[in-house]
Amino acid sequence: MKSGNNAEQDSVDSFCTARASLLKEQVIKTVFFCTAFLAVIVVIFILLFLLRDGYPIFGEVGVIPFLFGMTWAPTAMEPLFGIFPLIVGTLLVTLGAMVFAVPLSIGCAIYISELASPRVKQALKPAIELLAGIPSVVYGFFGLIVLTNFIRVTFDVSSGETWLAASLLLGVMALPTIISVSEDAISSVPHEYKEGSLAIGATRWQTISRVLVPAALSGIAAAVILGIGRVVGETMAVLMVAGNAGIIPEPLWNILSPVRTLTATLGIEMGEVSIGSEHYSALFGIAVVLLVITLVINLSAVAILRHLKQGRTSASARKPLIPQTMIESLIPFAKAAGLVLVLLFLLIAAPWWLTALALLAGGIWYYAKDRVSEKHIQTIAFCLVGLAALIVLAILVIILQDIVINGLPAISWEFLTQPPKDLGRAGGIFPAIVGTLYLVLGAIAIALPLGVGAAIYLVEYTREGRITKVIRSGVDLLNGTPSIVFGLFGFAFIVLYLNVGVSLLAGQITLALMVLPTVIRTTEESLKNIPQSLREGSLALGATRWQTISRVVIPPAVPGIVTGAILSIGRAAGETAPIMFTAVVFSSRFLPDSIFEPVMALPYHLFILATNVPGSSTNKYGTALVLLLLVIGFYAVAIVIRTHFRNKTRG
Amino acid sequence: MSEPAIISTQNLNLWYHEKHALQSVSIKVPKNRVTALIGPSGCGKSTLLRCFNRLNDLIDHVKITGEITLDDENIHAPSTDVVTLRKKVGMVFQKPNPFPKSIWENVAYGPQVHGIRNKAELDRIVEESLRHAALWDEVKDRLHDSALGLSGGQQQRLCIARTLAVNPEVILMDEPCSALDPIATAKIENLIELLKKEYTVIIVTHNMQQAARVSDYTGFMYLGKLIECGKTAQIFEHPKEELTENYITGRFG
Repeated sequence: MKSGNNAEQDSVDSFCTARASLLKEQVIKTVFFCTAFLAVIVVIFILLFLLRDGYPIFGEVGVIPFLFGMTWAPTAMEPLFGIFPLIVGTLLVTLGAMVFAVPLSIGCAIYISELASPRVKQALKPAIELLAGIPSVVYGFFGLIVLTNFIRVTFDVSSGETWLAASLLLGVMALPTIISVSEDAISSVPHEYKEGSLAIGATRWQTISRVLVPAALSGIAAAVILGIGRVVGETMAVLMVAGNAGIIPEPLWNILSPVRTLTATLGIEMGEVSIGSEHYSALFGIAVVLLVITLVINLSAVAILRHLKQGRTSASARKPLIPQTMIESLIPFAKAAGLVLVLLFLLIAAPWWLTALALLAGGIWYYAKDRVSEKHIQTIAFCLVGLAALIVLAILVIILQDIVINGLPAISWEFLTQPPKDLGRAGGIFPAIVGTLYLVLGAIAIALPLGVGAAIYLVEYTREGRITKVIRSGVDLLNGTPSIVFGLFGFAFIVLYLNVGVSLLAGQITLALMVLPTVIRTTEESLKNIPQSLREGSLALGATRWQTISRVVIPPAVPGIVTGAILSIGRAAGETAPIMFTAVVFSSRFLPDSIFEPVMALPYHLFILATNVPGSSTNKYGTALVLLLLVIGFYAVAIVIRTHFRNKTRG
Repeated sequence: MSEPAIISTQNLNLWYHEKHALQSVSIKVPKNRVTALIGPSGCGKSTLLRCFNRLNDLIDHVKITGEITLDDENIHAPSTDVVTLRKKVGMVFQKPNPFPKSIWENVAYGPQVHGIRNKAELDRIVEESLRHAALWDEVKDRLHDSALGLSGGQQQRLCIARTLAVNPEVILMDEPCSALDPIATAKIENLIELLKKEYTVIIVTHNMQQAARVSDYTGFMYLGKLIECGKTAQIFEHPKEELTENYITGRFG
């Protein structure tokens, strides 16, 4: 009798605990859902606030005059708000950057995936990651000091701050994106295609050019689109070298004319505009236009890549998003159009020696086409592809050595531990170093829990469906948003609307929103890498979902999550645009007392030194070097962790 | 084997990393006959096959000693051009691997990379090769559709047609039917029967019935060694080696 009572009691107890744990599971799930949905909310808020502040200008000027007006003169006696020259400037800079970057990147990608020996590959890949890790303000600084000077001397013009300089610099910045994505696309072409082609007796180059590259074409297209997205959204580098005259080049192909992009306009004018004025509203109008352009670009790239991934996993869905036949039928047109453009350029604009050279090359090609053996074509092609890789490497070396050699003399104990004097010409950068660390640590402290929570929700709690689709689109949109747009949003929403003021906190939140997609993605990746059998093993023992996640799934995923977090810190540390209007001051002798005070930051300090303070040469280079080392240091730690644990799991 | 050999190896050794994958293999492959290589998985039969068109070159850490001759020329000699070699020695793979291009382009790819540009000539080669591979009637109305839309068996015959289009002397087949259903397999086997009039076929298979059905000669390999090689009937009915007998009678495998 007694024992029976006990048993009853037990079952009641276990029923209660079961209910309690069920409730707990429900609560946990809801919390994760909220973190995941935050990405969507942020996107909506960004759109709302840009539109709210930008709307008046569309009302006053009208959409068409705003978009197609020929003059941008916001501070004139009778201000004009036509952004057409800015749109054209953005397009031209992007076009130039792609003309330079696309052939170089594809050549380099082919070299890495097909020709490089494993050892060379191991050296090249980190080099390209390094190129991606250099902060844009450091690129801008290098461009301003070295590149524009080079152009000024070479072309004998009065100023090197030109369309050409902007395109070259942004082309370099787009290289790592295009190289890594297209290398990935070429490497993941099934090995059987390669064997099949070689077994027929095709040369390696024929196999590459006629089988591998065509099979990877949509991946390469996505890579180029992502590169374009990067270029269109770039602010700091372009504003430092483009000359920023709001004109359409005259004639249109005059690459030595200064241009002004949409992003540069925001970067230059946002700091000086009076809040609530027509000009202020026009700047937000520009941000809306910019956001729409970059979103369209990035979403199309994401769509292509996602489709490819699905095609790779399920054989039935091999049909590409853009039908292969369509791409291929477009090729002859593209070729013809390219030829016509080149001819026009040669006839109208090019100097005579270039025309002669091109005609000569064309003549040789026409003559030699059918007379040269495949072997020789292969040798020439391999040389060109190798040259592309070499050029990319050389660019990296040139930039690094310039900054290291000129920056090292500035580095001293005093430089690292003293506040700046004489507008940064003398003294140190201590407050800027501390400010940057405060900013990124705060940003990651905010972004990490939110991002990890969102990733856990996406991977562990839901099946793919409508909700995940919405959330993923939100993350993609956030990822494609230019950093200057985050800056404007942070200013309008956090600084003004929430009345936080220009402060450390506002900067931290803005940066956190910016790196959120990176954290979500890397966490998602590392969670997906945990084998399903582990989860099943735990669930089969009667563990709840949360127990399984917290004890079985997350521990082995920690290295991946940490890597993602450190990469995000590195990225945040180098950013200028998002903190420019939300968190920083140029000169401060003191460290902030609370999170409601503004701070100094390395990237912004470098930007001001480089553009507004003449005669601070050593300290500029010193600041650039410290910033570079800081960012690269974060990346290096992340890479070391990644390789360490990758080797470990491989055993 | 008294018939004239087209490919022969002498003391062929191959190491993959530390693994001694082929151990002093000496084999003569007679011309215009079907030779089957059988043996349990991992015995080195595919590796041997891939030596004949030097496809092992693609793999890192492979070391080869010994001699392989094709038409009495050493294929590892420095003067040998792999591209020419592979033109002479075609290969059909385990899993059908058509390129993600149209049917026509798949077949025309070989002739094109070897310098034929004339459209009419290419059309002729494509039709002839597809007829040869017994695929023409099934695909003649949709030559410009993607090859990936074909069934597995059709894809494999397309791969054979692709190989024939280059007009090789030898065709290597690496378990060409292992990914196919019985009907498609029967079609490929019939095709092999026809092919031996003009080509030398070397086929790797783990299906002994298939070896018995399609081949004139059979080599049995075990743990990297060629245990026995001879006329198919002799190997299957009166094997000389005990190992061969045990394998064929299903005592291990």
